[in-house]
Amino acid sequence: MAAFSYQRATSLDDALAALANGDTKVIAGGMSLLPLMKLRLASPGTLVDIGRLSELKGIRPTADGGLEIGALATYADILASTSLPIAIECISRIGDIQVRNRGTVGGSISHADPASDLPALGLALDYSVVLRSSRGERSVPLDGFFEGAFQTGIQADEILVKMVRGPLPAGALGSYQKMEHPASGYSIVGVAAVVASSAGRVTHARVALTGVGEVAYRAKAVEAALLGSDGSSAAVAAAAEHATDGQTVNGDIHANRDYRARMAVVYTRRAIEAALGR
Amino acid sequence: MDLVRYVAVDDVGNKINPMIVDGQLHGGIAQGVGQALWEGAVYSDEGQLLTGSMLDYALPKASFFPNFELDETVTPSPVNPLGVKGVGEAGAIASTAAVANAVVDALSGHGIRHLDMPYNAQKVWSAIQSAKGGQA
Repeated sequence: MAAFSYQRATSLDDALAALANGDTKVIAGGMSLLPLMKLRLASPGTLVDIGRLSELKGIRPTADGGLEIGALATYADILASTSLPIAIECISRIGDIQVRNRGTVGGSISHADPASDLPALGLALDYSVVLRSSRGERSVPLDGFFEGAFQTGIQADEILVKMVRGPLPAGALGSYQKMEHPASGYSIVGVAAVVASSAGRVTHARVALTGVGEVAYRAKAVEAALLGSDGSSAAVAAAAEHATDGQTVNGDIHANRDYRARMAVVYTRRAIEAALGR
Repeated sequence: MDLVRYVAVDDVGNKINPMIVDGQLHGGIAQGVGQALWEGAVYSDEGQLLTGSMLDYALPKASFFPNFELDETVTPSPVNPLGVKGVGEAGAIASTAAVANAVVDALSGHGIRHLDMPYNAQKVWSAIQSAKGGQA
């Protein structure tokens, strides 16, 4: 690890001021940043630790029936507070117990590893991120926030302070299905599916994939095919065939392009079927 | 690829410490199954090791396995006073071959008679696709 300076932020404004100095990265749980620094893939001159800023912690319902998650909420915090099966299925398979105790939501989203699971979950649940800088605060939907591998729409002087979503559609059901690599546990393909039906027709569909392309993405062609369909196994199978439409599928030593693309379809079908309780 | 069930019958002669014998068999079986299903050093065409860290090279983990069903015959060795035999290699020698035979047996319906280890999901899937005449 290259040498670096370390300072602990006493407040959010203190952390924002430190960012203005340049060559400075925010650190919280460190579960993604520290491994990168050990591999010398990242070598910030200064780390500003926001891990004790209580204003960034907490998971709270919002007035409209949605949910607000502070950037410093850990994976373990979410598991302890959620009753959403899709969140439990997704987060309980992230990393291991130690990673889940330290890794934060804000860290995972702003790090934007193309194979990390939380971005897909966030996309399927229609989360937005709230970014704070000395210029003020802005809210950005996750759909469009992930710009490339390890790149998001966050500006150099901004800190992600929380994630927010509105209420889920009535009767929404979800599932997270993951094909994990046996060595790293990372998703070769990970799919988050949220579906709601009314009078025998699908009225709401969100299908988000990770591990497949440069970024986690919503498979909008799958969603469009599901909407208005009868949600039968045949309809789900036909919709799932669009899982990688418009995507450049990754190929690497763990899964070549053809295999990964085919598994994206298979796991999309499984996630939707599991969401529908089948 | 899921290992659903593993049954082993071993003869190690007289057992001085049966718990240690079981431990040796557990470890050996895990190692041999790991070789068949997960471990594989991958090199680029230029000879660069691509599976260069534990994030890429898959070692077997305890959570990958069912409980092993172990049984025994006891034939004391005639060539030493205790009638004991070594057990260190027993688990590892048989398990790799057993898994290999099981995988090829499962694929025999597609006309596949041989496949190189490790039998990861992509390799098995590609073999099935090729056998069906579809894309590999």
